[in-house]
Amino acid sequence: MLEIRWHSRAGQGAVTGAKGLADVISTTGKHVQAFAFYGSAKRGAPMTAYNRVDDSVIMNHEKYMEPDFVFVIDPALALTTDVTVDGKDTTKYIITTHMSTEELIKAQPKLEGKEVYTLDCIAIANETIGRPIPNTPMLGAFMKISEMYDIEFFKESMQRVLAKLPQKIVDANMVAIQRAYDEVK
Amino acid sequence: MAKQGWDEFEIGSLLRSFDGKIDKCPAHTPQRDRSYSENNSHVASVADWRLIKPVYNKDYCIDCQFCWVYCPDVSIISRDKKMIGIDMDHCKGCGICVEVCPTNPKSLLMFPEQADEETELASWPTKDEEEE
Amino acid sequence: MAFDKMELKDIEVWDGNHAAAQAMRQAQIDVVAAYPITPSTPIVEGYAKFKADNYVEGEFVMVESEHAAMSGCVGAAAAGGRVATATSSQGLALMAEVLYQASGMRLPIVLNLVNRALAAPLNVNGDHSDMYMVRDSGWIQFDAFSPQEAYDLNLIAFRVSEDHDVRIPAIINQDGFITSHTAQGVHTLSDDVAYNFVGEYKPMNDMLDFENPVTHGVQTEEDWHFEHKARQHNDMMTIVPGKIEEVFADFEKLTGRKYNKVECYDMNDADVAVVCMGTSVETAREVATEMRAKGIKAGVVGIRVFRPFPFFEIAEAIKDIKAVAVLDRCAPGGAAGTLFNEISGSLYNTDLKIALSGYIYGLGGRDLTKAHLVDLFNELQANADAGKVLTQQQQFIGVRGPKLAYL
Repeated sequence: MLEIRWHSRAGQGAVTGAKGLADVISTTGKHVQAFAFYGSAKRGAPMTAYNRVDDSVIMNHEKYMEPDFVFVIDPALALTTDVTVDGKDTTKYIITTHMSTEELIKAQPKLEGKEVYTLDCIAIANETIGRPIPNTPMLGAFMKISEMYDIEFFKESMQRVLAKLPQKIVDANMVAIQRAYDEVK
Repeated sequence: MAKQGWDEFEIGSLLRSFDGKIDKCPAHTPQRDRSYSENNSHVASVADWRLIKPVYNKDYCIDCQFCWVYCPDVSIISRDKKMIGIDMDHCKGCGICVEVCPTNPKSLLMFPEQADEETELASWPTKDEEEE
Repeated sequence: MAFDKMELKDIEVWDGNHAAAQAMRQAQIDVVAAYPITPSTPIVEGYAKFKADNYVEGEFVMVESEHAAMSGCVGAAAAGGRVATATSSQGLALMAEVLYQASGMRLPIVLNLVNRALAAPLNVNGDHSDMYMVRDSGWIQFDAFSPQEAYDLNLIAFRVSEDHDVRIPAIINQDGFITSHTAQGVHTLSDDVAYNFVGEYKPMNDMLDFENPVTHGVQTEEDWHFEHKARQHNDMMTIVPGKIEEVFADFEKLTGRKYNKVECYDMNDADVAVVCMGTSVETAREVATEMRAKGIKAGVVGIRVFRPFPFFEIAEAIKDIKAVAVLDRCAPGGAAGTLFNEISGSLYNTDLKIALSGYIYGLGGRDLTKAHLVDLFNELQANADAGKVLTQQQQFIGVRGPKLAYL
């Protein structure tokens, strides 16, 4: 069982990202689950989304999770909330920030000793898609860190997931995914 | 409050706005002197919701109060119809104040959250002739 | 007017709401009258989008309240069309009056009920308060534990409800957010196969049949009211169970997916068992399997059909179990839990001696964790070893504060 927790704000696309990832993984024959805690469901309010991936049918519906990966797609949340809660020793953190990994860990001591990767999904999204929607860049970074799928296969799959959007936006997302894949460290 | 047990709540679905009894009408008490309870929205900050923040330039402001009227979070501070500044604890960076500001150049502009306010004020845009 | 068919993959990643909306689209409904409420909103929103994109031929009626939504459904069903809608919580409370009209008028309407707590305190998350609130309204109630089941049971519900021997409206429950907003793999049927299973709507006593004029919703007083209600109950008790089994069997033939009024998991040799509804059934199954590895013979019973209540099937399912816990996801309000009461009733006039205990859990969406269920199975094993309930009969799981136990 692979488990992922997303830290996001309502409106940044964590749910869409989690569902998109589940969709791609599902086509490879694995079983998936994508869900979220909505809280007060106000745009901008902190929220968490979740993915579960397994070889057999996923029957566990508890919300409690000790994630293998933590995605933080809003830059402030790594600082103002505890993104390491219920983490394991092996949990990997991919965090969007304008800071370097070292600067971020200095600003948030809870991340010390953890396996932390950083990139600026907000800047990438702004520069490619034209809006601060950091979900697809995070998935590009995840492909790099997890080595789950070849990035070309992943982009191809995401083109299908995003197919209902205008072609221009789909193309911009592909650039964003590739940039995130290249820039995460 | 987050860890309170079932036996520690007051009955009813209620939260108290202030600690203790209010002797004087709160409207006539400055905010800093009010005894807000820990559950009052005044104590909660949404500052970390912002990706971009408004910066206020008083040089161009005409005190029209548009921003004060339109701000959805009552985060424009105005006294006696004079714009004073922005309540950065309750501003979530939506940019509506900038949108409705009628001056040229605007007296409010949005910048990245990490931008330096003094630097931005020093390089404020000049009057946009196209708009006339 | 022609409408478009939709190409679906064999497995789509859908949440429970989308699964229900897709099944509604495939059933080719004549009228959907709906008023949105969280967490069921995406069902009618999704259906409205199908309509806007020309995947639906029927009417979509926007109304001013849930009371009007169900009233519109009643009118359309009486006129002679296939009808469905969706709601949750307070929305269902506002519909409640009209639910009784629908069942009393014997109008086959399918209602997707995405279970949510009832205010106050205001809460959009899931529990079974709304399901229980209308338990006596004369509707058939199915319960889906996953998005797949929300899809399947929608198709099944039309068949059961619209059958001319039945003509009783049906609710399909799914857990708010935990099912409705959780995307999982759903095995789909093609539009043609799904529609052929549901079948063409066959009107009965429809108001648009001008050769046989009828008045619907008549007034009766003490002279007839009782007989009408008696007939309703009789048909629920004697006709509906068999019809549900028949449609479940047809569905299994078509898809290989087998449904039962009572879903048993590892019950054959179990010593202890949990009876519950919704997503908790699946989580409990996973924990039961893990308990067996620790030497506790655990089983799980899920209630698939809540109305008409499967009294005999339940008694049969737990007859050899030593200790059984019944889980109710609803504030009991000064009584034992509803499901606990039904199951006690199922067992009363039998010779069975089962240590039966009740638990209240998960109100307002409070998480039921695997750790809670491990503790619960251990407590049941202690009851089984002692041959009696060692705790009080009603306990609370997962609530903060001093332990709550009654009865």
